[in-house]
Amino acid sequence: MKTYEVFIKKSGKDEFRHAGALAAPDPAMARMYAREAYLRRAEGAEFWLVDRADLILGDEDFVAPNADKPHRHNDGSSVAARRKRLRLEEQRVDEQRVEEQRQEQQRQEQDQEAAR
Amino acid sequence: MTTSSLINDPAVAEFVLAFADDEHMVGARHAEWIGTAPFLEEDLAFCSIAQDELGHALGLYGLLTNDIDRFALLRSAGEYRSCHLAERAAPTWDDALIRHWLYDTAEALRWGALVQSSIPELASLARRALREEAFHTDHAVMFLERVVSAPTKPAIEAAIERLLPDALGVFEPVAGEARALELGVVSESSADLGRRWAEATVASLAALGLVVAWPAEPTAQAGRTVREAGFGEFLESLQAVISIEPAAIW
Repeated sequence: MKTYEVFIKKSGKDEFRHAGALAAPDPAMARMYAREAYLRRAEGAEFWLVDRADLILGDEDFVAPNADKPHRHNDGSSVAARRKRLRLEEQRVDEQRVEEQRQEQQRQEQDQEAAR
Repeated sequence: MTTSSLINDPAVAEFVLAFADDEHMVGARHAEWIGTAPFLEEDLAFCSIAQDELGHALGLYGLLTNDIDRFALLRSAGEYRSCHLAERAAPTWDDALIRHWLYDTAEALRWGALVQSSIPELASLARRALREEAFHTDHAVMFLERVVSAPTKPAIEAAIERLLPDALGVFEPVAGEARALELGVVSESSADLGRRWAEATVASLAALGLVVAWPAEPTAQAGRTVREAGFGEFLESLQAVISIEPAAIW
């Protein structure tokens, strides 16, 4: 027996999606079994079968070297984080300037008070 | 007589009943393999075939009665008109597979003789059934092709020899057939269908490299009025649920 992976496509513009697998002695029997096991109740309009032995595999070990490269995550989140940090910094500088101006004004008022 | 009342002719009804009972019994017998066919995929395919046959029975019974469940299940054994091939138990997968092959190849020919039926509902049922029979016969032949090599070959040949008399009995002329032919309900006699089936089956056996004693004496069914030995027990099992409360509406 061989194992075949089953991909089903609904009618229209839907794509083929993996639906499961089945065991069969050869392609002709697999085709019949796929219809009876996976498309008995109009689950799809057509299907693909792929012999599992023909799949080209990329297992976890093979993929692992790329698992820890956050600098390649160009989804904008690092840029957004940097912009947020700078914005907060700018805000802090602004607030400081306002506070200094307020203190300066206060000092001037006190000086004028003392002069009178 | 208008077309729609053809089915009210007792002879025509008797003719249709024989096919309806065949489909019912073979469907119920096939369904006994749910969960026990050789592997899951085959289990699903075989039970799909069983459901198709029960669907055919439903369609045919629907031409004969408005009370299908009671009619299908609650007659006495002597009132059934099924053939022994459909009725018999298949205690081994060899028997189940060979019965499926012998019955479905015969069934496909029988539906073929109904596609031009003067009863429009029967003709349309035949067209639908023939689409399904293409799958059934393909399935039977594909499976057989894969198991006829040694060491299973002798067991397959023995099963065919065991079932052949019942298979030939499928074509024993059915009551009402002459009238059904005369009225255009069916276009070909059981005898003619049986001859074509025998030719096709002999050719298939040769193609499969199977050697069996041929011909055989058809099982005596006395015009389908005599039931197969295990029928009483089988009917009882079919009635087990409905007879708990026959008046219940399901």
